[in-house]
Amino acid sequence: MISLTTDVVDVRGAASYYDMLTASAFVNYRTLLERVTLHPMMGRYLTYLANQKEDAAGTRTPDENYAREVLQLMSTGLVELNPDGTPKLDINNRPLPAYTPADISGLAKVFTGLSWYNATPTNTTFFGGNRAADASVRPMIFYNQHHSISQKAFLGTTIPATATANGAADLAIALDTLFNHPNVGPFMARQMIQRLVTSNPSPAYVQRVAEVFNNNGSGVRGDMAAVVTAILTDTEARSATLADDPGYGKLREPVLRMTHWMRAFGATSTTGLWRVQSTSGNTSLGQSPMASPSVFNFFRPGYVPPGTTELGSRMRNAPEFQIVDEVTTAGYVNTMNLAITSGLGTGNDVRSAYAAELAIAGNADQLVDRMNRLLLSGQMSPTLRSRVLSAVNSIVIPASPQSAIDQARLNRVRTAILLVMASPEYLVQR
Amino acid sequence: MKPMSLQSRRHFLRMMAAAAPLGAAAPFALQMATMGSAAAQCAPTDYRALVCIFLFGGNDSHNMLLATDTGSWNRYYAARNLGVDPIALMPAGTPPAAVGSVSPVTGRTVSRTTPEFLGGVLPITPRTRNPIPAGTVASNRTFAVHPSLAPLFSTPGNPWSAGRLAVMANTGPLVVPTTKTQYATRSVSLPPNLMSHNDQQSIWQSGAAEGARRGWGGLMADTMLAQNGSNAVFTAISTAGNAVFLSGDAVIQYQLTTAAQPAIRITAASGATLNGSSTAAARLREIVRDTGPTSYFGQDYNSIVRRSMDAADAVNTAFATPTASGIPAPPPYVNPVTGATETNNLATQLQTVVRAVAAAPALGITRQVFFVSLGGFDTHDVQNQVHPNLLARVAHGMAYLDTALGNIAGLNMRGNVTAFTMSDFNRTFTTNGDGTDHAWGGHHLIMGGAVRGRDMYGQFPTVGVDQSGFVNPDMSGNTMVPTTSVHQFAATFGRWFGLSDAQQLTLLPYLTNFSNRNLGFMI
Repeated sequence: MISLTTDVVDVRGAASYYDMLTASAFVNYRTLLERVTLHPMMGRYLTYLANQKEDAAGTRTPDENYAREVLQLMSTGLVELNPDGTPKLDINNRPLPAYTPADISGLAKVFTGLSWYNATPTNTTFFGGNRAADASVRPMIFYNQHHSISQKAFLGTTIPATATANGAADLAIALDTLFNHPNVGPFMARQMIQRLVTSNPSPAYVQRVAEVFNNNGSGVRGDMAAVVTAILTDTEARSATLADDPGYGKLREPVLRMTHWMRAFGATSTTGLWRVQSTSGNTSLGQSPMASPSVFNFFRPGYVPPGTTELGSRMRNAPEFQIVDEVTTAGYVNTMNLAITSGLGTGNDVRSAYAAELAIAGNADQLVDRMNRLLLSGQMSPTLRSRVLSAVNSIVIPASPQSAIDQARLNRVRTAILLVMASPEYLVQR
Repeated sequence: MKPMSLQSRRHFLRMMAAAAPLGAAAPFALQMATMGSAAAQCAPTDYRALVCIFLFGGNDSHNMLLATDTGSWNRYYAARNLGVDPIALMPAGTPPAAVGSVSPVTGRTVSRTTPEFLGGVLPITPRTRNPIPAGTVASNRTFAVHPSLAPLFSTPGNPWSAGRLAVMANTGPLVVPTTKTQYATRSVSLPPNLMSHNDQQSIWQSGAAEGARRGWGGLMADTMLAQNGSNAVFTAISTAGNAVFLSGDAVIQYQLTTAAQPAIRITAASGATLNGSSTAAARLREIVRDTGPTSYFGQDYNSIVRRSMDAADAVNTAFATPTASGIPAPPPYVNPVTGATETNNLATQLQTVVRAVAAAPALGITRQVFFVSLGGFDTHDVQNQVHPNLLARVAHGMAYLDTALGNIAGLNMRGNVTAFTMSDFNRTFTTNGDGTDHAWGGHHLIMGGAVRGRDMYGQFPTVGVDQSGFVNPDMSGNTMVPTTSVHQFAATFGRWFGLSDAQQLTLLPYLTNFSNRNLGFMI
């Protein structure tokens, strides 16, 4: 991922990067990896756009940023993995590093010579001059005069030294090497399960998904559509019995709660511009799309919330808890209350008319049933149901005038939505 | 590794030298005088606080603290005065060059983002002569700091000259004392995942990689928790999000905003009514406080909500007292690269820290640990545009902290609060053209009235990459192998904070592997 929190990423380029990810959600992982690698905003964000080959003396070395992060975050991860995602251990029970500093230095040479797209590339355009109008949304191109020609050794692959630089060929070898590393299946499987289903998948679940990554059944490796299908149709994603375990599921991240509200209640933009604005402040959601503090995103897959009595004491992962604290918990409820009541963003631009909810607001049971369906997938507990019913019924709809009737109906809808979205049953997706 | 005896000895010698004219009874008399002056300097409470200033991304401390003796400087300059945008700083004594002028030092045209614009590095003279490391040709080592650090080292009233600021050389995570050869051959146990941001951030704070649950700030506070009384929830305070540093066995971090009222409330659950209904407000309160045992995630989440709701009033009341609310805001900050006046968020966070220090007596708190941070140090490129501003923010923030602590409602609390930097790692000694990459051992700043300042601690290494027959005993490739471990660094604070040797060994598991457990920088 990339982030707009740095001024090297421009807004149009960031939107293009987001579109690229959306369009690539179900393509082959190898294709996705290449699209990510060649996107100029990734080149800018991880600083390998206009990265030059080493100097003759070997004193100035290529930028290692992307080489390191594409391994650690996007393909192999830090340590060698078993097919079920657990770390391989040495005889002293210590994990085995998946790569060394020498692998990073070797791979970094591959990512030299890439820079802005231009129809007539020159040294000037390599360094960012005479920028093409759409350079920030077109894949980067190789400028072979700046691409390393020395030997590049990484992860057991060696590209021999050459007299003629060929960046595209070197990149293909490098991305193939990453793609075919046995870690990628279990590494991607576990993190995608964490994003979609549960924070602590069983090793067997990880392995079942990793096997689909390795082979979709038709001999194809990296079929992400098949991987997503495997994740969502697995027993561990479908079983009501497993979902009852108190350790099952995941905390919904704040931005997805906000978009859930927008989708569930058909929120629209008054201006058509969707001026949601930043929700990054900790008194807001503590999170905003495309605005994480670093390439490590908002939270880490291995995060265990310190000082928690249930998750922490059991050493459970809860990535989304990394942005949960005394401020952001209050910020979330306050932000959603404002959004539900008045709308979201500049001039309350994004808001819902709640047409379907107002129509049934006179019937508290029907209204709460609808909340249960839209927000809780029918899993509302009797306790929560009685609390929401009590709150809704406490708002009496008068016989007249119409304005008072309308206001009471609206207050019922707002109350029902807020109470459910503030509840732990909603916050935890199971 | 510098043995403990050397540290103690040089301090002893310094005291003896100062005491010599006073005659045979002088050492004892001097000791009494020192104690007396310390007592006069401190506030009359037993309050002590540690402030961790975390520089996220990996600070390039090669450009923060520099060796300037000829051999060191030449190797530094040769390694960094390269590429499309050279990141070598200018030699000490170089005046700042005007934008558009041609630098007499480099022959290059000066812009706001070239080192020539900043002028030369600022010489500093630590009180103790730094030992000459093996393998370096220098006969006397001299040092300097980045020009952006002027508020800490050279501006009138700066804490370095006043003896309240020290520098810690070449420190990093270590399991055991480790030589260059041992690192290169992996023949000793090494910290896991070196050079990985998230893991090294975690290891600096906790000794363990991502997933760690206890940090040494929180563990140290654990040992003092009993004396913090009924408001112990404010023992460990962050203004920078969740930090494992603050988490102990019993101590849980509490997050504050930097607003005038630093705790925020769930308004819909705190008012008398919600959407016109008192019942609705009551039901919402029940819902957000429900820690029923259906989900570990839900229980833990709502425990945090409860803590937030229950403490909000107490903290806002304490911060509203004249002592706490009277803490002045930081002075304006000017970005040295752009010349623009900006908000220095680090200084803003430190204002909240000072307000918390001022509020501590009202809350009955006597031991506190704080976590503040500044991000953006991952300077793989455009280092000349970014790094001078970041270091200037550190200097502006720390100088403000020093000033503000000097007068809390008339009390000088400097001796009660010790601040120090930590960072993921240092960066490569060489340039990649316009920036630097991930490495290991780095230099740090330590500030407070209880710091033995105007001095350098640890061993400043030989600098320079192996080439042309030069073999650096301290660097592996372009990475410095630390000569002081984070746990030695931590233990020196722990001792001041009030921990026993046995407590230190328990909560800093690698400390036992190092003979020197007091680096000497604290009184």
